[in-house]
Amino acid sequence: MIGIMTAEDILQQIQSRFGGEIRTAEVRRGEACVTIGADRNYEICRFIREELGYDYLNCLSGVDWPTDNEMEVVYAISSLKQPGKIMLRARVPRDEPVLRSVVPLWATANWHEREAYDLLGIRFENHPDLRRILLSEDWIGHPLQKDYQDERFVPYPWDDRKPGTVARPTTA
Amino acid sequence: MEEMWVNMGPQHPSTHGVLRLLLKLDGEVVRECIPYLGYMHRCHEKIGENRAYVQIIPYTDRLDYLASMYNNWAYCLACERLMEIPIPERAEYLRVIIGELQRIASHLIWLGTFGLDLGNFTLFMWCFREREMVLDLFEAVSGQRLNYSFMRIGGLALDVPEGWLADVKAFLAYFKPRLLEYDRLTTDQIIWQKRIQGVGILKPEDAISYACSGPMLRGSGIRWDLRRDDPYGIYDRFDFDIPVGVSGDVWDRFWVRRREMEESVKIVEQALKDIPPGPVLSPVAKKLRAPVGDIYSRVESPRGELGHYIVADGSERPYRYKVRAPTFANLSALPVMLPGYMVADAVAVLGSVDIVLCEVDR
Repeated sequence: MIGIMTAEDILQQIQSRFGGEIRTAEVRRGEACVTIGADRNYEICRFIREELGYDYLNCLSGVDWPTDNEMEVVYAISSLKQPGKIMLRARVPRDEPVLRSVVPLWATANWHEREAYDLLGIRFENHPDLRRILLSEDWIGHPLQKDYQDERFVPYPWDDRKPGTVARPTTA
Repeated sequence: MEEMWVNMGPQHPSTHGVLRLLLKLDGEVVRECIPYLGYMHRCHEKIGENRAYVQIIPYTDRLDYLASMYNNWAYCLACERLMEIPIPERAEYLRVIIGELQRIASHLIWLGTFGLDLGNFTLFMWCFREREMVLDLFEAVSGQRLNYSFMRIGGLALDVPEGWLADVKAFLAYFKPRLLEYDRLTTDQIIWQKRIQGVGILKPEDAISYACSGPMLRGSGIRWDLRRDDPYGIYDRFDFDIPVGVSGDVWDRFWVRRREMEESVKIVEQALKDIPPGPVLSPVAKKLRAPVGDIYSRVESPRGELGHYIVADGSERPYRYKVRAPTFANLSALPVMLPGYMVADAVAVLGSVDIVLCEVDR
C-alpha cells in the first residue's frame, strides 16, 4: 500500500524513472502536469497505472497544434484512493500522428481513443478495434483538425455583421 | 443452436434515443453486444471552438437535456476555475438547491422510464407527476421547462422570484412521502424484484477500468462521489450519505438512485436553512478572455462524472473544448454487462445505465 501522494511526489517519481522522456513538468492546481514525446507513452502510462496505482482514466482528449506541427493526446488520470491528479500530455508529429494504445491498462480508453481517431485522426497502435465511433464510416477527414474544411461548416463571419447583410459561405 | 446477429435499435423504445445495439443471440441468450453510436452527433466540440465562452452555455443544455441545470453548472464551473472568477455566496447556495432538485427530477425520469421498460406504467405516471412540479419550479426561475441556460460564468442569470424558496420547501414536504409510495410499486413488489435482481452484474474492477461513474460505480459497491471526494461549490458544508450497492446488479443501481433522491432532499433542506441574501452574479467582463492554459474540471452530475476539458489560447473562444460525458463511459461498459443474460434482461440492463444519447453522441 502506497501512502497518500501529493502531486509533487508523483512528479518526482515519474521524473526519476523517465527523466529523459519528459519535455516539461510542473505542478498546477494540485495536478502533476507532464509533457512527453510519443515514444514511450505506454510505458509511462503503465508505470502510472501499475506502480503509482492510478487506476481511473477520467478523460482522454486529442488537441491539434498546427503551429507546432504537432498533435497532443491528453490523459487526465486520477485515482479513487489518492487525492492527486495527473495530466499527461503526449506530443506526436502532425504528419504521422501514431502512438501506442493504452486500452490494456484502462478499458475506457477504447472508446476515447476511437473518438480521438474519429475527430482528430490520431492513430493508436495495438488498439483492438480502431474504427470511427461518432461519425459515419464513410466520412472523409477529421473535423476537429484546425485546418478541416467542409462546405457544410461555415463559421459565421464575426467582423462584417452589418444589419441586412446575409452571411455568405466563404470557401478556402 | 445456430447463433444469430440481431439489431436492437436504432429505433427502439428502450434505447431512449437513437442507439443501435448489435446483439449476437444464442436462442434467447445474449452472447455478445456491439454498440453503434453517433446518430445524434452534431460535433458539439467544434461548435464550441467557434463560440465565445458565454455563448456555449445554451449548447450545454442540449447535452444532457434531462439535467440541463447541472450541465450549465459544470460548464460554468470549468470556466470559473480557468479564469479564477469568484462566485457570490447566495449563488453558490442557489446552485446547490437547483442542482439537487435537478438530480431529483433526473432520477425521477429515470425511474419512470425504467418502470416503463419493465412494464410498470403506473410508476411512470407517478414519477412524471412529481417531476412536473420540479419543472414548474425551474420555469418560475428561468422561464424555461427543459433547456434553462440559467447559470452564468460567475453566478446565476437572475435571483429567484419572491416566495420561490418557500415553494421548494413545500415541494420537499410533498415529495418525501411520495418516495415511500414508489416503494410500494417497486421494492415491495415481487415482479420488480425478480426482474432486476442478479441481472447485468458489473464487477467493481470492471467499473473502474471502464471509468464508470455516478450510480453505476456506486452500484458496484464503490463509495465514490465527487461531491464528497473532490468537493466543488459548497458541497463540503452539507451532511449527506453516499448510498452504495453490494453486488453491482441492476437492482443495486436502481436502489442507489432511489436512495440518492432522499439524500438530495436532505441537501436541499440544509441549503434552504442557511441561504444568505446578496447578489447572485459576480461582476465579470463583457468579453471574457481566459488566460493561456488548460483545465479538466469535473462535477458529479446525476449520471456521474461530467468533465469539461478546456484549452484556452488567450482569446475569447476556447481553443479546444471537450466534454467528458458520464454516460459515454458508462455505456462503454455495456458489452461486459450483457453477455450471458436473456434478451428481455438486455432492456433492463440498458435501462439501468441511464443513457442520454444526446450526451453520448455530442
